[in-house]
Amino acid sequence: MRKPGEVQLVNCTKRFGPTVAVDNIDLKIPAGAYCCLLGPSGCGKTTILRMIAGHETPTSGEVLIDGENVVGLPPVRRGTAMMFQDYALFPHLSCIDNVAFSLKMSGVGKAERRKRAGEVLARVQMAAFADRVPAQLSGGQKQRIALARALITNPRVLLLDEPLSALDEFLRLQMRGELRRMQRDLGITFIHVTHTQPEAIALADLVVVMDHGHIEQAASAQDVYDKPRTAYVARFIGGQNVLAGRVAGVNDGVIVLDLPQRGQIEFPARGEAPTAGSTVYIAVRRDRIHLTKKSAAGKVNAVSGKVSTIEYQGTWVKVTLQQEGGEDFVVNLPDSEFFSDPVNSGDAVWAYWNAADVHRLVGGAGRTDRPYASGQN
Amino acid sequence: MAYMTDRRPWTFYVLAAVFALFVVFLYGPMACIYILSFQGPNGGLTFPLNGTSLYWFGALFHQQRTGDIAGAFARSIPLAIIVLTLTVVFSLAAGLAFRRRFIGAGLIFYIAIASLIVPGLVLSVGTGLGFQLLDIPPRWYSSALGAHLSWTLPFGLLIMFAVFSRLNRSYEEAARDLGATTWQTLRHVVIPIVLPGIIGVALFGFTLSYDEFPRSWLTVGPYNTLPLEIWAMTTNITSPALYALGTVTTAISFVVIVVALTSIALIQSQRTRRRIARERAMQAGS
Amino acid sequence: MKLAVPAKAVPYLEVAPLAIVLLLFFVIPMAMVFVASFFDYNMTGIIKTFTLHNYIDLLTTPTTFDLYLETVKFALIVWAVTLVLGFFVAYFLAFHVRNPLIAIGLLLLCTVPFWTSNIIRMISWIPLLGKYGVFNRALLALGIVDKPVQWLLFSDFAVIVAYVHLFTLFMIVPIFNSMARIDKSLVEAAVDGGANRFRVMTEVIIPLSKTGITLGSIFVITLVMGDFFVVKIMSGGRSASVVMSVFEDVNLLFYPPAAASAVVLLIIVTLIVSFILRVVDVRKELTG
Repeated sequence: MRKPGEVQLVNCTKRFGPTVAVDNIDLKIPAGAYCCLLGPSGCGKTTILRMIAGHETPTSGEVLIDGENVVGLPPVRRGTAMMFQDYALFPHLSCIDNVAFSLKMSGVGKAERRKRAGEVLARVQMAAFADRVPAQLSGGQKQRIALARALITNPRVLLLDEPLSALDEFLRLQMRGELRRMQRDLGITFIHVTHTQPEAIALADLVVVMDHGHIEQAASAQDVYDKPRTAYVARFIGGQNVLAGRVAGVNDGVIVLDLPQRGQIEFPARGEAPTAGSTVYIAVRRDRIHLTKKSAAGKVNAVSGKVSTIEYQGTWVKVTLQQEGGEDFVVNLPDSEFFSDPVNSGDAVWAYWNAADVHRLVGGAGRTDRPYASGQN
Repeated sequence: MAYMTDRRPWTFYVLAAVFALFVVFLYGPMACIYILSFQGPNGGLTFPLNGTSLYWFGALFHQQRTGDIAGAFARSIPLAIIVLTLTVVFSLAAGLAFRRRFIGAGLIFYIAIASLIVPGLVLSVGTGLGFQLLDIPPRWYSSALGAHLSWTLPFGLLIMFAVFSRLNRSYEEAARDLGATTWQTLRHVVIPIVLPGIIGVALFGFTLSYDEFPRSWLTVGPYNTLPLEIWAMTTNITSPALYALGTVTTAISFVVIVVALTSIALIQSQRTRRRIARERAMQAGS
Repeated sequence: MKLAVPAKAVPYLEVAPLAIVLLLFFVIPMAMVFVASFFDYNMTGIIKTFTLHNYIDLLTTPTTFDLYLETVKFALIVWAVTLVLGFFVAYFLAFHVRNPLIAIGLLLLCTVPFWTSNIIRMISWIPLLGKYGVFNRALLALGIVDKPVQWLLFSDFAVIVAYVHLFTLFMIVPIFNSMARIDKSLVEAAVDGGANRFRVMTEVIIPLSKTGITLGSIFVITLVMGDFFVVKIMSGGRSASVVMSVFEDVNLLFYPPAAASAVVLLIIVTLIVSFILRVVDVRKELTG
């Protein structure tokens, strides 16, 4: 039997006047998956969430939940429930009445709905707060009530709009774990909108990286981090350096690129054969790079730069290099490696890596031609 | 609410119709007055129009039997201006006071609200009695002025409350940080920011005084303000001169409002223009 | 010249002008009225001796009760009409008009008539409702009636129409203000929980507009109970109000009974207002 909660968007577009918030996207979210929609403000992720919820209608295209097109149906008939970014708890109702709200709307009697609400409150460990009003709660507590209110309807898909953004660091990490556990226990589909990459990678089975209304990559967290599809994804997820080079040639299954800042990159062709002279973008993971104060001029897979900032991060040290006429180049060195031969701000150093750690990217510059519309996600 | 579709629900059309009818309900009667004030010299108090003319406008100012309109204007307008000025200054000061706690704040607040709710007639009776007891003759520039202020000050105070509650204190703290004295902060930071509110208070002060009738009744003394003059005319409604008067007084109110709102709009647009000019200058310089 | 004013004294100085004006022109006049209500009087004027007989006369004559009944009747009818009308106009402006600038513009449109004197706005109904007025002519022309309808003017109907015309704005503005403060995401959360438009209104919007409704109600009720000229003109002298009787007594220079009547009215109005205020803490909302 098919697990419920599979969500699919087919040729979905959403326009707000002249602005295109979501541009003809296709997305399939498997039932029971934890999916994170990731991207900066204005990329369309919240619009997609709201279209699945029923709070926005697509300009064209279909939204399918378990194979049924739900466009035009009110939220309550879709089997979805939404957790709002600022929680949207009714200020004039107590916590238990907030949670019981949807039961009241569907006509459940007072005693029955208070009992069921009490049970759900206990599940989120908020039973003691049943008769308090939202104004008396802290951010984390409000969030649990909002979660309880959404879950009481037994949705097949739970939609979360930046649920952790308003919390402080400690609470955020704690709630992250709880959300994951809850999703596993309930077995339903969670769709979670966020602009924080570590959060998406930590939580999601499926990460959907978005830019200007398009999906740049929809893959597992590991693939998105280790094998980003485009330069945009590589830059947004972080953890990678992006370099662009012109193809000098393909020899013996090895692609050679000329870098504009002097130097060459070589990496395994893996069956590809780009034309000579074309521009190719590649990514190298920041933690797969080493530094040396000795000159590596003339060697492949090495660039030079001046150390601009050094950030200590506990188990690793982030060293940012300023390249001549190029982007910042970031190296994440294990702390033991850094402290065995530390560099200082202003030093001229060389960074080098193995050919096997070079990953080719599709496309390059990203969609800088279309400006973000304000206020849309 | 675009939660189901982007089409408007049927309730929108019903409510829009209700709203439109309401606006007609508000403006319709006044429109009749405006039209009827152009009644021909031989026309009566209701439709139809017996020719059109400006006869009744003239009658307002020239004939004795329609009362002392010109005189009433000459009293109402200066009175309203004085009320406006005092209301702005006193409300602004009191609004500033209420940002902090002080003894008697609650009492003064409730007295102000009470002053708003009390029937104006009762108040003018009391004021008139008071002046009589003290043997001071009531006059439009003394007792009536005070009576009007008892009505406009609570309004001004409430507006100042609304305005100040939205004012972010960090602006004043930043000014203090940069060396401004309390007076400089007030003059260069607070007042410019709350200026639209102050103009609102001025607007209320003027029109509430200009239209005030019950509180003026026993407090103006021997010479009437405009609303009292109108009242005298209504009790012997004999000619469309009354309608002409209605048209004229409305026109004056309208002019005052337009001036007030335009000045607010001008302030806002001037600030925007200055900001754009500064941004351009910065870009050009960099 | 620098004024060395201690910081603590500043608020007192700032609030002083307003407080003094209110003292002189509200507190003292009200005290005058209160005191005058205990004075005796005759045809020539006030006799400054203490007496309770103004109150006794007032509270024992049946006309007092009838007068209050009449005034309260008008107050309740007008309150009901302005509440329903004002609520739906405010609801339309706050929730159905998408552009907030247009909503404010439409609200301003409703407030412009307010700036014209009440008397003029009231008498503007006379050419409309009269025997030869616009309504009757239209009804005759359309054949709905074959003689002019008499009760349109100089009747209870006319009084209520005039009150609604003058005072609905006092309902609209506070209710609109309350509604505009309602977070739109609350409406969406209600929809998400399965509420249709009607239930969103009853479960979310009405509870959260309580302050506006309360303020509007207080304004309208006190305005109607404090009125004397609308009822006099629009009913053609057929109806009376409490303040009208005060007006008439003062015209005859009978201050003491007028004062007593005023005091009783104020007590009743205060009772009504405090009853309404048990619902919400107005000061916190206003200074919020």
